Amino acid sequence: MKSFLKNLWNGIIPENPTFRLVLGMCPTLAVTTAAINGLGMGLTTMLVLIGSNVMISLLRNFIPDKVRIPAYVVIIASFTTIVGMLLQAYVPSLYESLGIYIPLIVVNCIILARAEAFASKNGVLDSFADGMGMGLGFTLSLTVLGSVRELFGAGSIFGIQILGAGYEPALIMILPPGAFLTLGLLMGLLNKVSNKREERSRVND
Amino acid sequence: MREIANLALKLFVITAVAALSLAFTNSITTDRIAEQTAMENESARQGVLSQAESFEQVDQSELQSIAREAGVENPEMINEAFKGLKGSETVGYTYKVLPKGYGGEITLLVGISTDGEIAGVEVVSHSETPGLGAKAQEETFQGQFTGMTTESPLTVIKSGSPGENEVQAITGSTITTQAVTDGVNAAVDVFNEMNK
Repeated sequence: MKSFLKNLWNGIIPENPTFRLVLGMCPTLAVTTAAINGLGMGLTTMLVLIGSNVMISLLRNFIPDKVRIPAYVVIIASFTTIVGMLLQAYVPSLYESLGIYIPLIVVNCIILARAEAFASKNGVLDSFADGMGMGLGFTLSLTVLGSVRELFGAGSIFGIQILGAGYEPALIMILPPGAFLTLGLLMGLLNKVSNKREERSRVND
Repeated sequence: MREIANLALKLFVITAVAALSLAFTNSITTDRIAEQTAMENESARQGVLSQAESFEQVDQSELQSIAREAGVENPEMINEAFKGLKGSETVGYTYKVLPKGYGGEITLLVGISTDGEIAGVEVVSHSETPGLGAKAQEETFQGQFTGMTTESPLTVIKSGSPGENEVQAITGSTITTQAVTDGVNAAVDVFNEMNK
């Protein structure tokens, strides 16, 4: 149980895929134009991560080391496609909201990175926790990014108008330059905060 | 050599199982997906022509020749047309038009009633910029078209109050607005040609 929680927590803050591992940048920049898009993409990615991590972990003794990359890619792409097809057929409302992210997830390097760095070397339960933790961390980062960009770019968060009609939205925030600016500034801010904490704990020792 | 054979075999097993699973899933979902898509399309048509109860597709090749006769600049833009019926009476037509927007093709659905009034317009899908051209999917934009007539072509205005058959452009997205308006105009041209 303890290692499960440790692995889970790891992906959320200490090794957050966006701000610490700096993985999955393409969908991060492209999809965070609004808070709800960030949330949807994050949650869908989490489901795929859990599934692929579990599968790779189950097969870790069967997949030969020398052909592991093509094996992972085939497994991940097939799994994602199957999930997409099942959603489209049986839960169309969910497919409507999340379906557009599915083709984007297949090329998300977080999935391959976790398969290679974790799932191929750990048990199923730990891999499940890692997939879930990384997914939650990713969701958190995307939602925060999406919220900031939506707030300054459209005056709202999750569609709820926060800044009044008097606010002239900075459209650049919802365009690609805004993505880079927000990501860079947030990362800088988080680094500063964690450096200060490290210094303080070092001084205290 | 032995090692390569072993690697190839294992990879083959993985890809074979993947292919089988995909084929299996495809076979059990194809019909359901087709059903869902058909239902979605039907309800989208209902959305732009609420007076109709059922729809009958207009023959594709006939549609293309009508579009050419109507003088539509690129007739392939008119993708599909359906006759809207209430009982056995024709109440209007719906047109699926594919104009080129800022970020790519826009899928537009236009409903026109037999009395020459635009019953509804829906931007079904697009690749326009979020916060800008994507606003074309909002009711405040789409609703503008409802009630406009097929007597004269629609034009886009950037500022001021829109008059008869004038479309207010989305701020910062005149290209998207113009694309949608061009699409609606093409549908109107085809409608007028059909009802000559």
